[in-house]
Amino acid sequence: MKNQIEEVKSKFLSEISSVEDEKQLEELRVKYLGRRGIIQSLFDKLREVPKEEKPALGKLLNELKELAQGKYNEKKLEIKGKKAKVESFVDLTIPGRLKYTGRKHPLTQTLEEIKKIFIGMGFEVASGPEIEDDYHNFEALNIPPEHPARDMQDTFFIEDKIILRTHTSPVQIRVMESKKPPVRIIAPGRVYRNEAISARSYCLFHQVEGLYVDERVSFAELKGTLLAFAKQMFGSDVKLRFRPSFFPFTEPSAEVDVSCFICGGKGCRVCKYGGWLEILGCGMVDPNVFKFVGYDAEKYTGYAFGMGVERIAMLKYGIDDIRLFYENDFRFLDQF
Amino acid sequence: MKISHNWLKNYIDLEAEPEEVKEKLTMLGLEVESVEYLGEKYKNFYVGEVLEVNKHPNADKLTVCKVNVGKDVLQIICGAPNVAVGQKVPVALVGAIIPRNQHDPEGKPFVLTRAKIRGVESYGMICSEYELGLGEDKEGIMVLDESAKVGQPLAEYFGLDDVVYDISITPNRPDCLSHIGIARELAVVFGLKLKKPEVKLIESERKVTDFASVEIVDYINCPRYSARVVLNVKVEPSPQWLQNYLRLVGLRPINNIVDITNFVLYEVGHPLHAFDYDKLTGHKIVVKCANDGEVFITLDGKARTLRSDTLMICDAEKPVAIAGVMGGLNSEITDETRNVLIESAYFNPISIRRTSKFLGLSTDASYRFERGADPNAVIWAVDRAAQLMAEIAGGEVLKGVIDVYPVKIEPRIVKLRFSRLNSIIGMEIPRDKVVEILEGLEIEVLNVDDDSVKVRVPTFRPDIEREIDLVEEVARVYGYDKIPDKMSSVVHFSTEKAKVDFNEVVRERLIGAGFKEVVTNSMLDEEVASLFSDNFVKVLNPLSREMSALRPSLIPSALDVVRHNFGYGIRDLKFFEIGRVFGVGLAGDDVSSLVGNYVEKEHLLILMTGRAEPLSYDLKERNFDIYDLKGEIERLFKSVFLENYRFIYYSNNRSALAELEIGVEIDGKYAGKLFKVGDVLLKRFDVQADIFIAEIDLNLMSKGSRIESRHYVELPRYPSVYRDLAFVVDESVPVGELEKAIKEKAGGLLKSIYLFDIYRGEKIGEGKKSVAFSLEIVSGQKTLTDEEVNALMREIVSYVEGRTGGKLRGF
Repeated sequence: MKNQIEEVKSKFLSEISSVEDEKQLEELRVKYLGRRGIIQSLFDKLREVPKEEKPALGKLLNELKELAQGKYNEKKLEIKGKKAKVESFVDLTIPGRLKYTGRKHPLTQTLEEIKKIFIGMGFEVASGPEIEDDYHNFEALNIPPEHPARDMQDTFFIEDKIILRTHTSPVQIRVMESKKPPVRIIAPGRVYRNEAISARSYCLFHQVEGLYVDERVSFAELKGTLLAFAKQMFGSDVKLRFRPSFFPFTEPSAEVDVSCFICGGKGCRVCKYGGWLEILGCGMVDPNVFKFVGYDAEKYTGYAFGMGVERIAMLKYGIDDIRLFYENDFRFLDQF
Repeated sequence: MKISHNWLKNYIDLEAEPEEVKEKLTMLGLEVESVEYLGEKYKNFYVGEVLEVNKHPNADKLTVCKVNVGKDVLQIICGAPNVAVGQKVPVALVGAIIPRNQHDPEGKPFVLTRAKIRGVESYGMICSEYELGLGEDKEGIMVLDESAKVGQPLAEYFGLDDVVYDISITPNRPDCLSHIGIARELAVVFGLKLKKPEVKLIESERKVTDFASVEIVDYINCPRYSARVVLNVKVEPSPQWLQNYLRLVGLRPINNIVDITNFVLYEVGHPLHAFDYDKLTGHKIVVKCANDGEVFITLDGKARTLRSDTLMICDAEKPVAIAGVMGGLNSEITDETRNVLIESAYFNPISIRRTSKFLGLSTDASYRFERGADPNAVIWAVDRAAQLMAEIAGGEVLKGVIDVYPVKIEPRIVKLRFSRLNSIIGMEIPRDKVVEILEGLEIEVLNVDDDSVKVRVPTFRPDIEREIDLVEEVARVYGYDKIPDKMSSVVHFSTEKAKVDFNEVVRERLIGAGFKEVVTNSMLDEEVASLFSDNFVKVLNPLSREMSALRPSLIPSALDVVRHNFGYGIRDLKFFEIGRVFGVGLAGDDVSSLVGNYVEKEHLLILMTGRAEPLSYDLKERNFDIYDLKGEIERLFKSVFLENYRFIYYSNNRSALAELEIGVEIDGKYAGKLFKVGDVLLKRFDVQADIFIAEIDLNLMSKGSRIESRHYVELPRYPSVYRDLAFVVDESVPVGELEKAIKEKAGGLLKSIYLFDIYRGEKIGEGKKSVAFSLEIVSGQKTLTDEEVNALMREIVSYVEGRTGGKLRGF
């Protein structure tokens, strides 16, 4: 029976190719696809074949029927088209009338993704000033004057005690000054560093700060929250690595690496063959910070984290020069 | 900081492979940034002996040498003036990677190949210290010690068959800025025992106190100063092993005395300083602050102007060192030095940091003192140095150590509650484990009970002051990776009204209208800033003049974007930016956020230039004009339900910045403007084009928008009637006047009005124009009859004619 099907198929194909008008096409349809047509008669025969062969043959027959129907429809349009062409011709290959295409900046797109994930986890969005005072940017974050940690962030000064914020962490202080726990916020914003401009660093960039303070907030919860974020952001099979580190306003502190989502951790150019990509810093809010904002450090604990939007966008899209974000070359913007 | 694998083995029985060491250190919070395999680096380098030196036939400055490298005698062309028969020299064979190219300005590495130099074959290279990356000397080839064995791998000779870790140490861990410090951390994770070298000192009969004295005037900034005197030393180059150690960690060997102080620094982390004892007037040390404006010449030959808070080491007459930062030229160890005073002190971190910052001078010593050295390590360090000086430089160590330490700095006692530890970490760490970790870190456990552990923290750990610091230590060593990922959280639902993210709405609308979003630098040239505002904010320490102020407007950076794209031939631009602008606050300003006297506002900028539509085969090509911009603004306002706005002025006057300008008011407040960029700006930004820009205060837009309070209004039940009206008026009559007059008369019946034609021509006469509107008339009460509409039209016509002096052209 299999041979029979093949035979019908090739016969049908050769016959339909020589069809020229609607009349011939209709005859062909009746012959093959009609209620008493050849294909139907093959279906009738199917009842007689052994049970175990039925599924395979049935599949072949169905395919034949679909093929025949498809070819028939195609031919029908072709014949109609020929007729119409003669009457009036609209050249549909002419390009459509274009409008300019709008696009969000890749930094906005990345930030929106980050925001959406944290909002979904119950975080609210807060903001603060870019011209910040020394107290909020350093002192209340447990970075007293003369502390070597001030070297970690080169600062632009506006006045002696007024600066361009070097991180979004002062928003933590401003939020905690204004309300009592529980506090669960993210604070996106622009920050400034007095560093030479290169492919790797720019004098300003964008951060997203996170803060959660309540009773019984633990490091384990910080790990889980960031893991959930990373999976939603980079892929459900990524892993995180928490490395001990130091930030004056958190303790214990950690730097967090995500397993390279380009190579899956095997090692590639992007992760410099290490399999890990550094994406953020975090830790448990230092009790000294609670002292500054008047929270009871015995009752409340909390975690904080901060990540660079440029860094994440660069990793995500494979951008190798941070300055591209600020040049706004339309050929660059059009890629996102 | 550079740490040598082999050096570490002096203090722990380290068997782990470098890769494992790297992993463990990183997971302890000591991030290993790179691992350098030196054996690999010097693979094709050997010790050779120069057998013959002949003149090069075709070059005066070159010689043709025969060099025995053990398994072969090679012909090598050499350009160094100091090459001589019998020298033991470092030889690179063909295929070697020369670490630094002497002829490359950046000293990039290169692969050595067989070469014909001026017609003579060369099969290798005799290297200089610079080329080997072992020093800065480029003057001639490096000549090795007589003891070097011909054919010996160079790495072996230099003790370079080693692995060097470059570790980034966070500022809280001064104790890890040494090999013993790193060894201590590794001992904890590998379960090894730390073996601190035992100092065996042979002292002479003569007492140090008979030879020198120490006085601390400023004991706040110098809580401890100790010293030893070593007499009759022979200053000479250090033995090979010591030179090798220093080179491994990136230091240049100087002489045995200075090298020993550096060795101890890298061994235990305590900075020492060696003075030429005979240059100390009165053989006395006085620790006190400098006089304001005093000038002092440091070891590096530079004159430094001091302040009254600069702590100095002085002798009976003069300053001899900037405490904890750098010694002075006047008391430096030289080849003639016979007697040495070794300083081992503890300085106040804040004082050292202040001085180092003020002088812009950071040294190995200041780096450690400002992070916190160990006040109780000074004696061990000075003894260790004295011992090595006796051994290496043949000195006589005087009996005793001078130790001025008026107020002893005691180790801290800190208590850690297990419940606190577990609640912060989020898991239970067994008590035995906690105790084991603390003891491994040399934190002395005084007492353990059911609830807590009490410890005495050694003074080399200034970072451990509080319970939370112990929590971190335990968590860090226990392993962050062993702490579970808690995947659920108690979320307190927010009860604040969810706000529409207005900026987001504006973005969406503009993107739908074909605008691209840009993000630009908020710093700019103060001269440019001054074109836009008198109250702009200056940066005190800018990166460059181009970034010396904060932007008072989004316009300048938008024009930068235009220039950049024009530079690549992209001339059709339609974009927007949402960003903050800055100013010095003025009385009565409507201020959203303020620190000090500074104002930050969010602005929206829209820019259009080039073709109004992408190129098309049948549309007439047309460039953007002011009406496109006005239309986009009106559409944007409409789409975000901003109705209470007015165009408040129309100007055809050319100003420096603009020609054609329209002011915008929202809720009765000035909110921004729409304009065509003027010549001065075009020139300043080096662009030539018709550029249209609008800059609007986003905060006012957001406040004026009804987007949060939309309400349904019943739809009209009766059909609209459309009528066209055309008036012939003088050229000088603005279209806006006609429109205003029609609206006034038509009142509530007029639902909408569209301008559909402006015609000028012979038919209507010179100096005139015909302006045609389409009116949509509808009543909320009934279907208007033709007669009623006609009557209204007649009223409107006569009113408009009266107001504008125009004549009805027909309808």
